[in-house]
Amino acid sequence: MNLNINRRAAIRNMALILGSAAVLPSCLNDKGKPVVQLKKLKIDAAQETLVNNLTETILPKTDTPGAAELGINLFVFKMIDDCYGQEAQQDFITGLGDFADAAKKALGKSFNDGSAKERAAFVATVDQNSMNDKYKDDTKLTAFYKMVKDQTVFGYTTSKYFMTKQVVYELVPGRYNAYFPVKKTAAV
Amino acid sequence: MSTNTYDAIVIGSGISGGWAAKELTEKGLKTIMLERGKNIEHIKDYVNANKGPWEFEHRGGRTQKMIDDYPVLKRDYPLNETNLDYWTNEKESPYTEIKRFDWFRGYHVGGRSLMWGRQSYRWHDTDFEANAKDGIAVDWPIRYKDLHDWYGYAEKFAGISGNRDGVPILPDGDFMPPMEMNVVEKDVQKRYKEFYKDARHFIIGRTANITVPHNNRTNCQYRNKCWLGCPFGAYFSTQSATLPAAMKTGNLTLRPWSIVTKILYDKNTKKAKGVEVLDAETNKTYEYYAKIVFVNASALNSAWVLMNSATDVWEGGLGSSSGELGHNLMDHHLGVGAGGRIEGFEDKYTFGRRANGIYIPRYRNLNGEKRDYIRGFGYQGGGSRAGWSRDIAELNIGGDFKDALTEPGSWGFGMGGFGETLPYHENKISLDKNKKDKWGLPILAIDAECKDNERKMRIDMMNDAKEMLENAGVKDVQTYTSEPVLGRGIHEMGTARMGRDPKTSVLNGNNQVWDAKNVFVTDGAAMTSAACQNPSLTYMALTARAANFAVQELKKGNI
Repeated sequence: MNLNINRRAAIRNMALILGSAAVLPSCLNDKGKPVVQLKKLKIDAAQETLVNNLTETILPKTDTPGAAELGINLFVFKMIDDCYGQEAQQDFITGLGDFADAAKKALGKSFNDGSAKERAAFVATVDQNSMNDKYKDDTKLTAFYKMVKDQTVFGYTTSKYFMTKQVVYELVPGRYNAYFPVKKTAAV
Repeated sequence: MSTNTYDAIVIGSGISGGWAAKELTEKGLKTIMLERGKNIEHIKDYVNANKGPWEFEHRGGRTQKMIDDYPVLKRDYPLNETNLDYWTNEKESPYTEIKRFDWFRGYHVGGRSLMWGRQSYRWHDTDFEANAKDGIAVDWPIRYKDLHDWYGYAEKFAGISGNRDGVPILPDGDFMPPMEMNVVEKDVQKRYKEFYKDARHFIIGRTANITVPHNNRTNCQYRNKCWLGCPFGAYFSTQSATLPAAMKTGNLTLRPWSIVTKILYDKNTKKAKGVEVLDAETNKTYEYYAKIVFVNASALNSAWVLMNSATDVWEGGLGSSSGELGHNLMDHHLGVGAGGRIEGFEDKYTFGRRANGIYIPRYRNLNGEKRDYIRGFGYQGGGSRAGWSRDIAELNIGGDFKDALTEPGSWGFGMGGFGETLPYHENKISLDKNKKDKWGLPILAIDAECKDNERKMRIDMMNDAKEMLENAGVKDVQTYTSEPVLGRGIHEMGTARMGRDPKTSVLNGNNQVWDAKNVFVTDGAAMTSAACQNPSLTYMALTARAANFAVQELKKGNI
């Protein structure tokens, strides 16, 4: 059994050392060009910043890290660039513009120029609409928002930080406890 | 003796091929196992097995490129980032769908034994007698008593965990200790038992995951990453179990990248003398010779090999004299069931990821019941607690939302049916001679569909699921169903069926090809009917039994 335990520990340690895979390569920020390298999506620096700010608004830094610190924004770009079809990507681009326009109208300034509080107030409305099946407008704002939110939450809840610090993900549980009591830090 | 001469040849290295290699080598036969794809070495080549979920670039998802590259695999769960290399390259090995057929293949050492679902159930005489009683297709040439001991033999070596439930329709086996039901499953089971008494059963799944150490394999560590390959060897695969046993004898040669293009048939002796192999890497052709050939290339490809063999004698290939080769294609139909919410148990969770669920064995059309369809179905399912990606009632952005993501959601319970499909002669595969694969070989055309019996059964499968869950206290039960698609069960069967008469079957009761007695087919192709239980355990038992028979016959000079 000792051998077994050592092996488990070794595998666990190995997993921690390997760490999380690099999410996205980045290059120096030319003026107007985005930092993230994207294969299909064509966006400019302001649009990139908007998405970064949006992810941070959905999951802001509190006493725990927020989306930006954890690189969730980069994950969102990567997923939409690699995993979404042409049509969805077009909706993303169109919806990004719709989002920027609606924010400007609501805030009287661009989303990026708004304070964290102002952004949160605007996004709260967008979020409520996105949860309401009956809500409809003729823009792609909601489609865009849902994509970003889905991937933000997915990226966060599958991030190394979340899975090792917020919930305890054991690579090798070693046993099955069918009556595990729920504690403040849950186990995956 | 030529270096290309062996006592036995095994075509394919999946569940049944691995078993054939183990049994034949342990009985002293010098054996070569030919695998059409690459080698995957146990542990060393399980490259993703020790990664955390966050280490996958797309967290296990599928990219547009993957979707473009795998037009078939994308139709269901198998297309994913974590074990993509285990699934067959569809551009290199296409097939023609006369009707939609989801063929999910694994071309490498170990075949689908690396990715299989591991649920392992014995059949019952009800299953072996079904065709005869219903007067359809042909009768199985064997009964449960012919396989009983071989089931036990297979279970003891493979390592099947399960509970001895005493369910008449689902014979108990030689099990390792069962896995445990979680708190919600036990609660549902209790109410289910109160309601259905002994008429229906709700049991823990019987799975080829070992729960105690066994043959230098470590017991299951509850990682639920089986299909990446298990570094502990905790589930049965060729790599973890049969291959090391065969290697240990010193009698096995394993040759990856070896596409068997035909069985070499000798008209004078009326037996096979060997096989022709196309090296998938060099495109060179080789011949290997042996006294016995075991065909374990998976149901469709085993039939493909036979169709390409002895065509100078029989136009349709070896075993086609019956007119049944390639016909009677079966699978299990699924994608129908129900699920709902469980109240309470908020203070409980599960620790560890159990790669197993609960099972409800068949109960329809038994004990004199007659529905408007024949045969039956079982269910696989389980209770689980929703993850953390859930929405809270009011504000779904911000710091509080972020914190809420760490809390488990509510408990749910769901299950899906696995239904028997009937052996229809017109559900068939044939060679599509107009199209070739990467190696210039003819590809298969698949022409099969679910019919009236399956469609009627699915109505029960859906409604029964809801009714049973409600009777067991599950709330807000929702049903689901889908257009039944063959192949999706990944249980292809029947394309070289066993039978009692060479005029109506390809194989006899010992899995010998009627037209070439030293050729044995012991994978899904051999199945005369499909039952509704997961079939792999039956392939293991059939293979061990046939290998034993083959060696006896060889010793007697009969083959």
